[in-house]
Amino acid sequence: MATRLQFENNCEVGVFSKLTNAYCLVAIGGSESFYSTFEAELADVIPVIKTSIGGTRIIGRLCAGNKNGLLLPHTTTDQELQHLRNSLPDSVVVQRIDERLSALGNCIACNDHVALTHPDLDKDTEEMIADVLGVEVFRQTVAGNILVGSNCAFSNRGGLVHPHTSIEDLDELSTLLQVPLVAGTVNRGSEVIAAGLTVNDWTAFCGSDTTATELSVIESVFKLREAQPSALVDEMRKSLIDTYV
Amino acid sequence: MVQYNFKKITVVPTGKDFIDIILSRTQRQTPTVVHKGYAISRIRQFYMRKVKYTQQNFHDKLSTIIEEFPRLDDIHPFYGDLLHVLYNKDHYKLALGQINTARNLIGKIAKDYVKLLKYGDSLYRCKSLKVAALGRMCTVIKRVGPSLAYLEQIRQHMARLPSIDPNTRTILICGYPNVGKSSFINKITRADVDVQPYAFTTKSLFVGHTDYKYLRYQVIDTPGILDRPFEDRNIIEMCSITALAHLRAAVLFFLDISGSCGYSIAQQAALFHSIKSLFMNKPLIIVCNKTDLQALEGISEDDMKLVMEMKSEAMKTLIGQGGEPANDEGVLLTMSTLTEEGVIAVKNAACERLLDQRVELKMKSKKLNDCLNRFHVAMPKPRDQKERPPCIPEAVLEGKAKKAEQAAEKQKKLEKDLENENGGAGVYSASLRKHYILANDEWKEDIMPEILDGHNVYDFVDPDILQRLEELEREEGMRQEQEADDDFEMDGAELTPEEQKALAAIRKKKSLLIQQHRIKKSTAESRPTVPRKFDKDKQFTSERMGRQLSTLGLDPTLAINRARSKSRGRKRERSIDRGDQNGTDDMDVDGNQPNKKLRLRSRSQLRSRSKSRPPYEVVPGEGLKDSAQKKKAIKLAEKSHKKRNKDARKGEADRALVASREGSYFTMLCWKLHRKL
Repeated sequence: MATRLQFENNCEVGVFSKLTNAYCLVAIGGSESFYSTFEAELADVIPVIKTSIGGTRIIGRLCAGNKNGLLLPHTTTDQELQHLRNSLPDSVVVQRIDERLSALGNCIACNDHVALTHPDLDKDTEEMIADVLGVEVFRQTVAGNILVGSNCAFSNRGGLVHPHTSIEDLDELSTLLQVPLVAGTVNRGSEVIAAGLTVNDWTAFCGSDTTATELSVIESVFKLREAQPSALVDEMRKSLIDTYV
Repeated sequence: MVQYNFKKITVVPTGKDFIDIILSRTQRQTPTVVHKGYAISRIRQFYMRKVKYTQQNFHDKLSTIIEEFPRLDDIHPFYGDLLHVLYNKDHYKLALGQINTARNLIGKIAKDYVKLLKYGDSLYRCKSLKVAALGRMCTVIKRVGPSLAYLEQIRQHMARLPSIDPNTRTILICGYPNVGKSSFINKITRADVDVQPYAFTTKSLFVGHTDYKYLRYQVIDTPGILDRPFEDRNIIEMCSITALAHLRAAVLFFLDISGSCGYSIAQQAALFHSIKSLFMNKPLIIVCNKTDLQALEGISEDDMKLVMEMKSEAMKTLIGQGGEPANDEGVLLTMSTLTEEGVIAVKNAACERLLDQRVELKMKSKKLNDCLNRFHVAMPKPRDQKERPPCIPEAVLEGKAKKAEQAAEKQKKLEKDLENENGGAGVYSASLRKHYILANDEWKEDIMPEILDGHNVYDFVDPDILQRLEELEREEGMRQEQEADDDFEMDGAELTPEEQKALAAIRKKKSLLIQQHRIKKSTAESRPTVPRKFDKDKQFTSERMGRQLSTLGLDPTLAINRARSKSRGRKRERSIDRGDQNGTDDMDVDGNQPNKKLRLRSRSQLRSRSKSRPPYEVVPGEGLKDSAQKKKAIKLAEKSHKKRNKDARKGEADRALVASREGSYFTMLCWKLHRKL
């Protein structure tokens, strides 16, 4: 089930939140409506935590995580780290890492089993990702773009990547990640997928500009309802062709 | 993509208003005071300015009118024809043409009168010329008054035209009057078209929008068409015809099989055949409406034949666009807008067939290749045996089932509700600690110091941090020991004697290099940086290369020869020209001296150094009497170009605080007191 929402009149919800299968981080906003949207959807199941990272609200771009762990940039303060440790269950390892590229969310894209990373990431960071998040790490680019974390979003069930990804790249990435992938957009044609969308295995949140077509692509590829990715090729194909061509 | 929005055309004032606007602007925006005592050129200029300004304003206003009204030849043919039908193209063009002529005339008048004003010889005459110029301009505008009025009418009408996008997905509804076209559009869109039980309720095009399969469709309701010759059709019918002719849309031809609209099926079939040329290459659906009054099966045999004939015609359009002729579903449909039976089926069929046609066209376009990746779902090929299951908590799966009853039961209290109860956004501040997962809930609100005894508390927040540090250090020590062991083994007996010798040589060389580098580095600051090719220390000689090569056991002759052959030959010696004049003895000495430095020095020492003249010595021709006078002059000169104080030293312009007298008096008193005590 995908939900459309806004953070203080801004549709880039992936910037202000981080959703995984074990927890959800939400930026501290001026009002509680953004938080409550997540709360209503998730609070029964996983902790929904209001936090800042390094004093900023762009938490989705700064941290990377999955159900096993959470990686924080070196800009994170001790207090924030402690707050997160207190709020997260013990099964989630929280680790602050000394990486020069401090926007970890832009540099790392991961699900619970595989991670794609920026090619220039430190060797130490790579090891840390593998250890803390318990994933296989691949240094990759998406559509020739090194910021893999911004340009793709994937869960354990499917993934959405930058619309300019070629078919060969799609197949290669899909084999690496072992999930079905589709090239697409969010927020009425935005190419920065992860900025407009945050997703886990059973739910997704995207910016309120997202069109019906984009939303149905998201729901099918992430298997959020009964829809399967194959629906994209069968039922939706004509609509997609008429929209894009 | 071109947007057709005729709502933004600026208002066209009537002739009278037009003149008022322009003249009052001239009055307001140009100088008003002139005096006959002014220079004639100034007076002329004053009036010329008025004439020119008025002309410019007329020109601007008329230009906006000409530019903003659409040119019928440039816009989409649908709009071109629609505007022609509604306003008559000739009339429209004529009006705009007249405006254009007026603009040119005014320009010419202004030019003429400005020329005349150049020869105006008095204030009175200049003023008369100006009045005449403005008067003639206004007459021109007055003459195009009717055109302006006509354009204003058209503007008002165009602003009310529905905004139809001729290129998007469109469904077009047509048929005889009163067959239920408007009822249908009201059913499938939110257009809210007026429906009345008499013919020609709809007098113009109406637009509604509907969704089908994630896409938006534009539905156009057209006025009814009567079956009569093309020339006899009225404007209302022509709107429909224009839409049919120019829009690439799915066409729904409505058929009232009950005949309650006042026209028999035969008449409607005749209309169908007379306008069927307009249906070519468009998905056509024949919709039999009002089945609540009369079922399709119940009509007479003749009528049935007519309907089937139409169906076969409709099939032809299908074949024309490459569809399979066998597939006849979605060509003849029945529905009742009253009972809403079959309405959705008709809409879906129309949308589906239109989509099919558009997709088929687009599949042929080149643009498709750019988007191919977006219709492709990359399915993973297994690369190992590892299972990568999704991770969905049980609660979610249970929650899905429970959700329905929960929703009915009670709404969960969200943070948003709490916020609203407690003063709204900006007032309510939610506790961040509320949801902490701690061993004891009472700890949640505990205050924790950030700094304690000069230490950052969070550095010691791990209870066993010291223990772990010890462990790490131990591990590190062990690793170092192991490494040392490894090193020892390297030096040990594993090497053959030759290898050991080589190793020793390598180490010696290495230490030598390091030593040299250190020496160089220690003196680096005081030494000039000289490119290596000048080779100050005579290090890089071919002899040395030979020595080095032979120590390595190689024959150096070849390399040396090659180096010599590559090096540039010595330049011609500088010819000694001055030596000839000075005398042969010196030259001999110079020539024999091998060191260049010494050679130069020896030569320069030959000439004794001349004593410099003291500055105050009087030179004849300076105009000074004696050295005393000259000293004075020098002093004066120096004073005159005293350097500016740029060293931030104290100067006369600086603010200085002189100790006040009271203060000093007070200090003196204190001092005296002190002495006494």
